[in-house]
Amino acid sequence: MFSARVSQRTLRLFKSPGRRFQSSAPEPPPAGGHLPSVATSALLRTTRDSALRSQGISWTDGDNDGPPGSVIAGRETRRMNLYQAVRDAMSIALMKDDSAVVFGEDVAFGGVFRCTMGLAEEFGRERVFNTPLTEQGIAGFGIGLASMGHTAIAEIQFADYIFPAFDQIVNEAAKHRFRSGGQYDVGSLTIRCPTMSVGHGGLYHSQSPEGYFMGASGLKIVIPRSPVQAKGLLLSSIRDPNPVIFMEPKILYRSAIEQVPIDDYHLPLGRAEILTPGSDLTLLTWGTPVYHCEAAVHLLSNPPPNLAPHVPASIRNAKIELIDLRTILPWDVETVTESVKKTGRLVIVHEASMTGGVGGEIAAEVQRRCFLKLEAPVRRVAGWDTPVPMQYEKFHIPDALRVLDAMIETLTY
Amino acid sequence: MSRIPRISASVRASLARRTYASSTVQLPNEAHGHLPTSQSPITSKLHFFNSVMEEGKQIPTYRVLDGSGKLLEGAEVPEFDEALARRMYENMSRLPIIDNLLYNVQRQGKISFYMTAHGEEATLIGSAAALDPNDEVLGQYREMGVLLWRGFTYDEVMAQCFGNHEDTCTKGKQMPVHFGSRKYHFHPISSPLATQIPQAAGVGFALKRDPLRRGKNCAVVYFGEGAASEGDFHAGMLLASTVPSPTLFIARNNGFAISTPSSEQYHGDGIASRGPGYGIHTIRVDGNDILAVLSAVREGRRLCIEEGRGVLIEAMTYRVGHHSTSDDSFAYRPRQEVEDRKRIDNPISRFRLFLESRGWWSEQEEEKFKDEVRKEVMKAFKRGESLQRHALKEMFNDVYAGEEPWNIREQRQELWALLKKYGNVWEPWKNELKKHKGEGKELIEGDV
Ligand SMILES: Cc1ncc(C[n+]2csc(CCOP(=O)(O)OP(=O)(O)O)c2C)c(N)n1
Ligand SMILES: [Mg+2]
Repeated sequence: MFSARVSQRTLRLFKSPGRRFQSSAPEPPPAGGHLPSVATSALLRTTRDSALRSQGISWTDGDNDGPPGSVIAGRETRRMNLYQAVRDAMSIALMKDDSAVVFGEDVAFGGVFRCTMGLAEEFGRERVFNTPLTEQGIAGFGIGLASMGHTAIAEIQFADYIFPAFDQIVNEAAKHRFRSGGQYDVGSLTIRCPTMSVGHGGLYHSQSPEGYFMGASGLKIVIPRSPVQAKGLLLSSIRDPNPVIFMEPKILYRSAIEQVPIDDYHLPLGRAEILTPGSDLTLLTWGTPVYHCEAAVHLLSNPPPNLAPHVPASIRNAKIELIDLRTILPWDVETVTESVKKTGRLVIVHEASMTGGVGGEIAAEVQRRCFLKLEAPVRRVAGWDTPVPMQYEKFHIPDALRVLDAMIETLTY
Repeated sequence: MSRIPRISASVRASLARRTYASSTVQLPNEAHGHLPTSQSPITSKLHFFNSVMEEGKQIPTYRVLDGSGKLLEGAEVPEFDEALARRMYENMSRLPIIDNLLYNVQRQGKISFYMTAHGEEATLIGSAAALDPNDEVLGQYREMGVLLWRGFTYDEVMAQCFGNHEDTCTKGKQMPVHFGSRKYHFHPISSPLATQIPQAAGVGFALKRDPLRRGKNCAVVYFGEGAASEGDFHAGMLLASTVPSPTLFIARNNGFAISTPSSEQYHGDGIASRGPGYGIHTIRVDGNDILAVLSAVREGRRLCIEEGRGVLIEAMTYRVGHHSTSDDSFAYRPRQEVEDRKRIDNPISRFRLFLESRGWWSEQEEEKFKDEVRKEVMKAFKRGESLQRHALKEMFNDVYAGEEPWNIREQRQELWALLKKYGNVWEPWKNELKKHKGEGKELIEGDV
């Protein structure tokens, strides 16, 4: 019964003129069914030129040391992984802004993920310091600092441990400006935390809690996918006039490596980025699953022999528009709806559980704005509605296959 | 003009109770009387204080055995016999054997994570020995020794750490060392720090309300000096003292919270100084002296149950191992410091010297005992390693009791359908399925 419906839909697709699919895969995967892992992702900017031409990049050389605005000649990049890029951003923030301080559990020796390595030595223990073990304290302390106009860069050791700070973040940081009639604000507060799964973290080292903060207007939530993104988005977050929760996908700390511009630059908050343009299906995600999605797009266009029977030839040329949302709150409704109006199909992928996840919020808004353009129901691929179960994680966290299957269903609907 | 408020009947009653309860405390000189609503004497001296002890003095550390296992002058040996002493020693000695094995096994990638208790054996076993086996224990994560004392087997340890299908602690859902056992009254470990502390106050209250356990058992909560910085620590202490409830707080002050030394964790006089702030009986004990721990926990437990109120014990020890297998502690403390502590203040050898001086232990017994333990642990390890994980269908269980909500049911069905479709052809799943009992065949081939 299911397959009958599929073929009918597929037929309809092919009858509509101008809907022939063209492959959107940048290049076919090598023979042998190899999947692009993060390290070999084509999305990573591994050359100086591509890094310097990152979409939406703006140079912020206030000191006029570097060349002006849009010129990239004379700018340098350095090979960095994600934790080094995060460190580089904080180093620039500390260097340029005397009021900036970096603090959190174990940050003085470099942090458990090495993001603050050497900062205490470079800037002194008064500006880069350990706090006692209290997340509510860290958030509250940061709010106090920021309300005095200082730049507070706080680290929560794992996103899973942000909940003791929930009250401070949701009731205090998010509402500070509103409740004081604009007299006070904590815009110079940024809270960084490692997020998402690594494959064996279980309940309390795998969560993606961004969805819990969706209702906290006044707050921004940012999740970078790569070193170049991490540096630019973190510098933007630190300087944004609103408090920002900056969640760093921890599996990418070491595995994502790019050429990162060494200068001070911003990438825009509130703007999604179209990673591969396409016209047949919008694939929207953020953080780690960006790479599963990239892999899934490869599988769709060029399925290995054992998967081939499941991928109808008719959809292998589908052009997939892969979008990295980057800012989760407030999210870029314009880019997403423009894309869906073009493609008529939307698959949203996130690691957090389905229920209460960010995907539901996006799906609701997209169906309202794009109702008449939709060719298929908006589809969510998410963690199941259970806590993350350690020994079962590979079946819990969405992977390339689940994304592929959702795309097949959506394309053949 | 300030007016002296009238004291309500209930305040007066509670004042009376308080005075009665703390009758051992000398009432200070009340030349100027005291505040109307408390016993705080009025004084004309402008004076700040910053110590719970006599001015400027630190809280003392209770000790029974000196570093060489000899009785400290004036110390009283707790009531115990050779059998108990040997049992304590044997349990202390078992810990590093298991720890060493599992630490190395993690290094080989056979388990994902591990945490050792090196250096804290006396605190763990001394306290476990002082408790009633039915006292409810809420641990942090470094308290496997308490479970072993109660009879938890090597096979059970391995099952949990490997997350195999014999793991009843978490059915493979939590990381290694997240033990839990209703049988042994050991509440399930949770990684978020300090959450167990206020929970313990609730557990204690439940015990007090249970006619069969009232006056017999207490709740016992272990936590690190780092976790004691969380708001939950303060909440738990406050509740157990105010509501109140029979809750024994055991702080393992091992000097570090990952890289953060205790000198950056608190500015006051350790964790113990906080006890009196909550009106809680408190003692600091040498956590590397198992007899001191035994006596302190016994007495603390007695007080706790008798008064039905929280009691705090701060055990001073040293984390000899790295924080966990994810940590390299030589990035923040000198190797020599650790080597020195291992040599100078080794809780196991301290107790062994005491036993030997009484003729309760010998070199030959040591060799024989360790040999046996090593063999048993190795056997359990091999077995644990060889067993598959729980069947994949366990994944969706235990979210809710009672009727299963539609979303869980449908998601399970969705995954089963995906497995039927791709379980044999998608390599990452195919390989992963082999690790589970039944290898997912019931899902791929069966009717779901
Ligand atoms: C709420 C929370 N914050 C942070 C962490 C990360 N973390 C795990 S253990 C640990 C240090 C705990 O130190 P301590 O309480 O002294 O116990 P010890 O490891 O020394 O036994 C930290 C910061 C956590 N598990 N939970
Ligand atoms: Mg500690």
